[in-house]
Amino acid sequence: MATATAPARASGPGRPPDRGRRNRLDRALPYLLLLPAAVVLGLVSLYPIWAGAHASLTTYLYGRPIAGAGLQNYTDTWHDPVFWQAMWVTLKFVVLAVVIETVLGLALAMLVARDMRGARFIRLSILAPMTVAPVVVGVIWRLIYESQTGFVNPLFSSLGLGAPNVLSHQGSAFYGLVFVDVWEWTPLLFLVCLAGLQSMPQEPLEAAAVDGAKPVRLFFNHTLPLLLPVLAVGVVLRLIDAVGTFDQIFVLTGGGPGTATQLISIYAYNTAFNFTDYGHGAAMLIALLAFALLLVIVALTLMRGAARRVSR
Amino acid sequence: MTSRGGNSIQVSRRSMLKGAGLGVAAAASGPLMYQACKSDGLNKTGAYDIYVMDDNWVPEFAAGRIVQSLDKLGLKANPDILSKGLDQGYWPPKAGARLKAFANDTPELFALVIIDDCNLLYYDKRQFSSPPKTWDDIYSAMKAKAKPPKLYGWSARGVKGNPVVQTYLPLLNSYGGNFCNDDWSPGFAGPEGVGALERLMSFLPYMSPSTPEFDTDQETALLLQGKCMALTEYTGTAVTEIDNPADSKVVSQIDITNCPSQVKPGPAIGTFICGISSGTKNAEGAVKFLEWFTSSRIQLQFAQEGGSAAVTKSALTDPKAVAKYRWLPAIAQSVQSSTPKPRTPDEPRFEDILGTQLNIALVDALQQKRNYTQIAQKSLNTAKTQMAAVLQQHKNIYF
Repeated sequence: MATATAPARASGPGRPPDRGRRNRLDRALPYLLLLPAAVVLGLVSLYPIWAGAHASLTTYLYGRPIAGAGLQNYTDTWHDPVFWQAMWVTLKFVVLAVVIETVLGLALAMLVARDMRGARFIRLSILAPMTVAPVVVGVIWRLIYESQTGFVNPLFSSLGLGAPNVLSHQGSAFYGLVFVDVWEWTPLLFLVCLAGLQSMPQEPLEAAAVDGAKPVRLFFNHTLPLLLPVLAVGVVLRLIDAVGTFDQIFVLTGGGPGTATQLISIYAYNTAFNFTDYGHGAAMLIALLAFALLLVIVALTLMRGAARRVSR
Repeated sequence: MTSRGGNSIQVSRRSMLKGAGLGVAAAASGPLMYQACKSDGLNKTGAYDIYVMDDNWVPEFAAGRIVQSLDKLGLKANPDILSKGLDQGYWPPKAGARLKAFANDTPELFALVIIDDCNLLYYDKRQFSSPPKTWDDIYSAMKAKAKPPKLYGWSARGVKGNPVVQTYLPLLNSYGGNFCNDDWSPGFAGPEGVGALERLMSFLPYMSPSTPEFDTDQETALLLQGKCMALTEYTGTAVTEIDNPADSKVVSQIDITNCPSQVKPGPAIGTFICGISSGTKNAEGAVKFLEWFTSSRIQLQFAQEGGSAAVTKSALTDPKAVAKYRWLPAIAQSVQSSTPKPRTPDEPRFEDILGTQLNIALVDALQQKRNYTQIAQKSLNTAKTQMAAVLQQHKNIYF
């Protein structure tokens, strides 16, 4: 390759004098075209991360930065029992919600991937919750769960189960929020799985079916391994998003009852903006970022392991 | 009064603006307004002349010089303004615990009260033979007459944070406890605080089982539907709802009086209050406007036209205004017998700590239906420990 391109790069008699310059321009052009997007990305994405990291190393008094804090904000965060409680709630919420969403999304995609009557309508219906803004989802479900005027209490009472008062108890409020998240975000996993299933090569599946593979075996030995790369992308996207869940919880419970639904995002928001402890709040959010990355690594490792086991 | 995350402020901006030809003081809902004002004041942009604030912003805004000293600007406060309401604008506070850096400073007026908001007792007069004077009176009445779920004895805000603290404070204060003692130590985990919480828990059998999720709208809905005997709330419920047929099924049936006493009266105060921004380019006009708006003449108009929580004694006791709006004398009485919350920028954090534990206590008490003393003691001790940890973490500004 080097020998093939070297003569073309050399200038010589009869060659237009600006050829070398044009080549340099050709090489630079992709970077120049990328530059505006990179600048915008830097402004809206990297700068806030840098500013957050900087804030986490700063001491504030009455809203003003007054001194460098070193790692004090991180030390305070590390020794804050409420932070660890919020971290535990976040972990429970993320794992439970994403696992249920993945299983449900996959099941629905398997169901709807086949050509059947009304499939298009069903697909569109399943996608609908995802199109609603999270804060609106929070308001809607607040009205549904509300003990005086919502319909969950009357529904349960009419079935003879007693009014659950979902938002009044720590356990039911937590699972109520998981349910809302599942309702809203299962469609994303459904969409990812459906795309994966529809672009999947059919020959291996048909061959296995001809060889007499039962549906369950077909799914675990053929469909799932082929789907795993696509599924991994969906799961990673959901993990990152779920770790930062804020709107619905802020509207629905504000983190209560007690601290039952206080995710790190809610606690960090309160610390930074309600308690005006910006440095401590920023340190929590940097920790949240690290936590999200850790979860993604764990999820990818688990899925790669599963893929290897299945392919064996 | 609301926390920094609370509701928007209902102020007659039209009448305010008419007064001085100034730009809008500030607009938008609680948390947005707080951040906007703070950012404006810190950077001295001069986008706003006056901030309409929640009174718990005053410590941070005054200590951080986000607002200017009204004394230094030459503002003359109307002597007709109720003293307890006026005190909310002083920094450092005239009474109670002070931050270390301001321990020896002479209090200066940094903000001027424009709405005297405080806890009132609302009760359905058909259920009480006379206005209840003590928490024990309330308990006796509900024990005799309440029939949940048709008629609850009591309704309360139980959501964690500011709402449940606003439910608890009138009890705590009246039982002789303190949110914060004069040396900043938490004053709610002793026998007074535990007794106050036990009294609230004794109401639970006569309250909605959904109380831990109740905020003002759910709490007051029960009263306005005629399904509850009594509750404590801020003045807005009286001014805008109880006699409005669109909101209430019990028009003219709800009476309003000062919060019940036990060893003393205990309403909490939470005024709306105005400060002049550090970056204003029209401080003189802003001062004139505040003097005009809090003048006895305008406050009387304020009370007579809408029954609002005026800040002057003459307006709240004016016979013509009182004949039309029966709650005005109760506002005056409550303000003057009120207890302020801790005067520190950390107050929202303290409120969150106490409010989280109170909410947990309510949930536990509703589930267990007994062991109230243990539940109360445990939750208040936890709150005390957490608050002490925050004080220790920020010891350089407290001790």
